[in-house]
Amino acid sequence: MTAAKSDVRQGTLALMVLKTLQTMGALHGYGIARRIEQTSGNRLAVNYGTLYPALLKLQQDGYISSEWGVSDNNRKAKYYKLTRAGHKQVEKEVGEWEQTNAILARFLAPDQETQ
Amino acid sequence: MRTLRAWFSRAAGLFQKERRDRELADEIESNLRMHIDDNVRAGMTPAEARRQALLKFGSVESAKESYRDQRGIPLLETLWQDVHFGLRMLRKSASFTIVAVLTLALGVGANATVFSWVRALLLNPLPGVVAANHVVALETLTPDGSWEPTSYLDFRDLRDNCKLVEAMSVTKPMALAVGDRESVERVWGEAVSGNFFEMLGIEPALGRFFSTGEVDQQQSAHPLLIISHSYWVSHYHADPGVIGASVRINHFPYTVIGVAPEEFHGSMPGLSFDAWVPATMYGQLASTGDNTLLDRKWRTFRVLARLAPGVSIGEARAEVESHAKDLARDDASTNEGMSATLLPMWESHYGIQGSMLGPLSILMTACGLVLLIVCANLANLELARATARQKEFVLRLALGASRSRLIRQFLTECSLVAAAGSLGGIAIASWLKGTLAWFLPRSSVPALGHVPVDIGVLFFAITLAFAVALVAGLATALRVAGRKADEMLKTGGRASSSAHSNRLRGLLATSEMALAVVAMISAGLLLESFRNVSKIRPGFDAPHVAVAQLDLSAASYNAQQANNFYQRLQQKLERQPGVNAVSYADYVPLSFSRGSWEKLQIRGYIPAPSEDMDIYRSLISPGYFNLMKISIFEGRDFRSSDDMDAPPVLIVNQEFVRRFIGRGTAVGRQVHGWGNWFTIVGVVADSKVFRLTEPPVPYFYAPMRQIYRPEMGLVFFVRTEGSDNGAISMLQNEARAADPTIPVFDVMSLNDEISVSLFTQRISAGLVSVLGGVALLLAALGLFGVMAYSVAQRTNEIGIRIALGAQRKHVFAMVLGQGTRVALLGIAIGTLAAWAVTRLMIGALYGVMPSDPLTFCAVSLLLLAVALLASYVPARRAMSVDPMVALKYE
Repeated sequence: MTAAKSDVRQGTLALMVLKTLQTMGALHGYGIARRIEQTSGNRLAVNYGTLYPALLKLQQDGYISSEWGVSDNNRKAKYYKLTRAGHKQVEKEVGEWEQTNAILARFLAPDQETQ
Repeated sequence: MRTLRAWFSRAAGLFQKERRDRELADEIESNLRMHIDDNVRAGMTPAEARRQALLKFGSVESAKESYRDQRGIPLLETLWQDVHFGLRMLRKSASFTIVAVLTLALGVGANATVFSWVRALLLNPLPGVVAANHVVALETLTPDGSWEPTSYLDFRDLRDNCKLVEAMSVTKPMALAVGDRESVERVWGEAVSGNFFEMLGIEPALGRFFSTGEVDQQQSAHPLLIISHSYWVSHYHADPGVIGASVRINHFPYTVIGVAPEEFHGSMPGLSFDAWVPATMYGQLASTGDNTLLDRKWRTFRVLARLAPGVSIGEARAEVESHAKDLARDDASTNEGMSATLLPMWESHYGIQGSMLGPLSILMTACGLVLLIVCANLANLELARATARQKEFVLRLALGASRSRLIRQFLTECSLVAAAGSLGGIAIASWLKGTLAWFLPRSSVPALGHVPVDIGVLFFAITLAFAVALVAGLATALRVAGRKADEMLKTGGRASSSAHSNRLRGLLATSEMALAVVAMISAGLLLESFRNVSKIRPGFDAPHVAVAQLDLSAASYNAQQANNFYQRLQQKLERQPGVNAVSYADYVPLSFSRGSWEKLQIRGYIPAPSEDMDIYRSLISPGYFNLMKISIFEGRDFRSSDDMDAPPVLIVNQEFVRRFIGRGTAVGRQVHGWGNWFTIVGVVADSKVFRLTEPPVPYFYAPMRQIYRPEMGLVFFVRTEGSDNGAISMLQNEARAADPTIPVFDVMSLNDEISVSLFTQRISAGLVSVLGGVALLLAALGLFGVMAYSVAQRTNEIGIRIALGAQRKHVFAMVLGQGTRVALLGIAIGTLAAWAVTRLMIGALYGVMPSDPLTFCAVSLLLLAVALLASYVPARRAMSVDPMVALKYE
């Protein structure tokens, strides 16, 4: 792993996967990984050792479903897509994430408390 | 909901692993291909594209691994692996497994059995009763502080006045003669208040129970009967039509109205009753008439009480005491100085729990000792096996197994042993469950010999097995895993690295020896006591005497009819061949019951203010002393002419004379009892009455022909020349023939009858000896294990010694010396411990000091001999080590 790229922060990968699937529709594991890396402006490196278990966990939770299909260049691939519960979950998590961000931002803003 | 769903899906992941693995491999493969394709499209050569893709992907195996963890439930899967592997390892070291499981089963079985007895007799004395800890016994106290049953009127007053007691009921155990002209059977039952079952919270298995109004009002008006479940099954084949059936009890017709539930055996701990009748029927059934219940002096009933919710026994006791004080004041003519108290069931003076308390606590202690030895033995075995498997552990650590995983593996194996051990223990316990009957004192009421091995006992056994196995295993597991892997690798898990574990194993063997010494010394002391007690001469001659008890209460004889019956039966028996003498009495000395007493007044003797003048007595027929070979020192025996029309006479024993008459002739002295003055006509030798170990007690005899009580017992004694068995069947037949409506029971040899008097010593000595033997065996096994293992470990070293010229006999002596050192230390510690412990059993000993030097020496020598034996075989093996083989072996 190159030093410039950082690993995906714990707990955020699931949301990234969900959001990616929401934007892109059905996508295979490789596609999800590439898309996340692209979206991050190549600042993130997705580790497959974390991606596959994360996909499995989202499936177990019922947020995504999978199905074998054929890719653009005619390869057999496993496609993931959001379920109805998954769509709701994205909205929910995005909301929560934004709220957390907003709170964190106040903490991290320089010397806000003393002013 | 989501979590549940996820767990379902993960649990499903435990199955069809191959299909799922293939699917993951396919997915990874397809994603890799897409990556390579992209790289090629970006202008890389195919080889470079593949290399970059693989590099980017990272470790495929590690991805698969973390995927698998998410897919299934890792803990469960590794547990399954551990169990699988554990079973294989246990199978591989079969001898370890067998010894460990057997040892554990033995310890658990013994403890579970004793636990089930303790529970049945002390902890849960009234099975089937709801909230049994609120049920207590009410007992009347005499002015000198001894306990007595309670009169019906006192019971009624206390019941109506005590507010802290929710309900109260009388119970009176009675022998009932159930049946018709052709066959009469003695059934033990209780006469109880109408609210008895309601108070205990018991529901009928069939029919109904008494209703309060129905039975507590009028006397002799409600001939109703409730039978036990087992009586229902044995006598009515569990026929539901039994309700409404008519049954004759003591010749009176009764109607069956209900069947008690299966687990209920009546209100006395350890005894089992088969019938319940209303207390208001007592006067009719006991032939004492209706006055029985209206006389405050007729103290004959046990009283059970249920405390009101939230009331402690102490508070209720204070209230009972204060009301009893009121009664003592208001009814001074009958109750002056009397009091009453409440006792928890296990302290109640009725039932057999009292006589079992001593033996059971000794037994429990002995069982605990055995369990400790089992624990040490198991730890020893585990330790040995762990040392032997060091190589395996090193290898697994080196291959990346975590320490916690190793410990888990080890504990899984311990649990497997524990599971097998608890199964074995339960099997032993259920095999032994019937033996309680064998150890219980033989009382006239059938004892509850069958203690069920139920959930409670199972739980106890399993908990015990797991606790022992895990305690034994955990220390070992921690030691194994605590080692540094590199350190272990350096020594290659070879024997030399385990000096520490050898020391630990020696220590365990030492403590086993010490515990065995304590157990054996206790057993030795109890055996010596038993021997001393059985050497005591009872003062009468028991061999070749058979006895039969008859129940006359059902026959409703008057005194004259009863006398006619005695004589008829006596003459019939005397005509039988081989019969030397026939006599009868109302009491068998040294049997379980204490017999009866009479308050005496002796002319010329002024008792001390608090002196107890209740003197125990027997009613006997002429010829009794001759038959029992009790010598008459002074005066004469009773004659057949000493009857109702003749002046009343008594015969007293020597102790009676010593205490109340002193010097001078006793014959001719006047004694007052039964409202009449009696003349002493004879003095006989002292004989034992209650216990073999008692000092001489003052005792007296009165002729049965002059004193008649409808409720008294009747015992026929027959001395024969032949076998006891022949006499027993003869007695049985003749008694039946004399009057078929009179139940005959407990026909047996006098020797068997008085063996009850050895009961406490017999049960303690017998059981503790067995447990002591088990302890000795286990300790010997433990020592043998340590020595054999140590020799096996040192084969290499011994080979070198021999190769370097050590004499074989020196090697032999070295190993033997090592075993002896362990044993001697154990014996020394054990002797000291025993010296401290045995003083606690002084109450169970007779004629032997708790620190009896002979027993201590004998046990020490025995243990030393056993220890030498246990080290002998390993020492022989060490001596015959072939240096070449030993050296090549490594």
